[in-house]
Amino acid sequence: MTITILDPTHEEDSKVFQMASGLKNLKGARIGFISNGKKGTYPFFNVLESLLKNEYEVGEVVRVVKKNYSAPADTEIMNQVPKWDAVVTGVGD
Amino acid sequence: MLKSKTYELEDPLAVQEYFHSRRWTDGLPVVPPTPQSVQEMLDRANLDPEHLIGIEPVRNRRMTAEKLAVNAVMAGCLPDHFPLVCESFSAMLKEPFLLHGATASTGGCAVLVVINGPVREQLGMCGTFNVLGSSDRATTVIGRAIRLILCNLLDVRPGDLDRSTLGHPGKFSYCIAEDEEHTEWLSLAEDRAMPRGTSAVTVMAAGSPRQIMNEWTTEPEAILDTFVAEMKACMRHYSIWPGNYAIIIPPQLRTHFEKAGWSKKDIRKYVFEHARIQRKEWADCGKASVVGSQGEQEYAALTDEDHLLVIAAGGPAGGFGAVIPPWFGTKSKAVTQALGVCLDCGPQ
Repeated sequence: MTITILDPTHEEDSKVFQMASGLKNLKGARIGFISNGKKGTYPFFNVLESLLKNEYEVGEVVRVVKKNYSAPADTEIMNQVPKWDAVVTGVGD
Repeated sequence: MLKSKTYELEDPLAVQEYFHSRRWTDGLPVVPPTPQSVQEMLDRANLDPEHLIGIEPVRNRRMTAEKLAVNAVMAGCLPDHFPLVCESFSAMLKEPFLLHGATASTGGCAVLVVINGPVREQLGMCGTFNVLGSSDRATTVIGRAIRLILCNLLDVRPGDLDRSTLGHPGKFSYCIAEDEEHTEWLSLAEDRAMPRGTSAVTVMAAGSPRQIMNEWTTEPEAILDTFVAEMKACMRHYSIWPGNYAIIIPPQLRTHFEKAGWSKKDIRKYVFEHARIQRKEWADCGKASVVGSQGEQEYAALTDEDHLLVIAAGGPAGGFGAVIPPWFGTKSKAVTQALGVCLDCGPQ
């Protein structure tokens, strides 16, 4: 005799989000950096910006900072995202 | 009609291994969530499986009654416990609580749930002996259900969304009932604008409890100075920023306040005025490098005296108390919500 049990997880997740297709190359691209405002993000993004511009010929880096580092990005920031080709975020401490 | 995917497993032991292998548990055994047991939860709360408890805004996740019920069964909840699980989670989804930040942060807080009102007695909750360490069945399983829901519906598992550096044992279960029977004070829920006689939950993104002891005075001010000292220590050692602090005052110390005619409001006022440090005190505990030129600047533990949650709880003997610090400043605020009755959201 078997036991029937129910899945405890959020099964709809895969329907909510899909991975964005990657860029073919970064040349001339506009890249957004969303910082959570923590101190450690500044030197990290400085190095990353330099790397992207000098080695990958990125056209422009737009840097924005969230008002609350524990909360989702502010609406003003999210409104800018469609104007960017790619975004770097999720960098913590 | 339940919509969750089903699995057929050989026996209860196979269920445990299946759940462990998928990281669907907190490391402890679970009660197998069968369709019948989940339906009983929903029937008790008079909720349709698709009923929305809320939407987690960061990932736009729908938190349905069915999924909460599956996890509540796993945690060991009885159907009578389920309305409190739903209400607690609903409170956590309110914007001021900042659920995503509180559960993902390296700070490693847990969700403290405080129960008030008649439901405590109806469910056999006990706000006395060992109140912070699994004092009774109902609070233990309700607190555990909250954690399992976070793990399974929002991926708040260690190393996934839960980025806690340390965490604390309250993550297994951090639910208590206030001891309203042995005090003349207003309950926490009444203090937070709930009408007398209302069953309510208060949720707070909370650090681990820090126990204090003072058996050598009967003066309210002196007793509170001990609580204040612990809060100031937290400001020095952990975070200087103000937020919701909770203090738990058991009967032995409570007697002295009540004899002196001190209400919870008096306690909040005293703590608000005294729980303050200067930035230069950081230099005493290894943080001199961040004192800067603002050494004389004063920081208060509370931005408002009402940000202190005063809770009557604990066993009858012992001059102990506890301070429960906030996760991190005012980023997350405690939320109190009445246990409601929805008249138009029953099963179709």
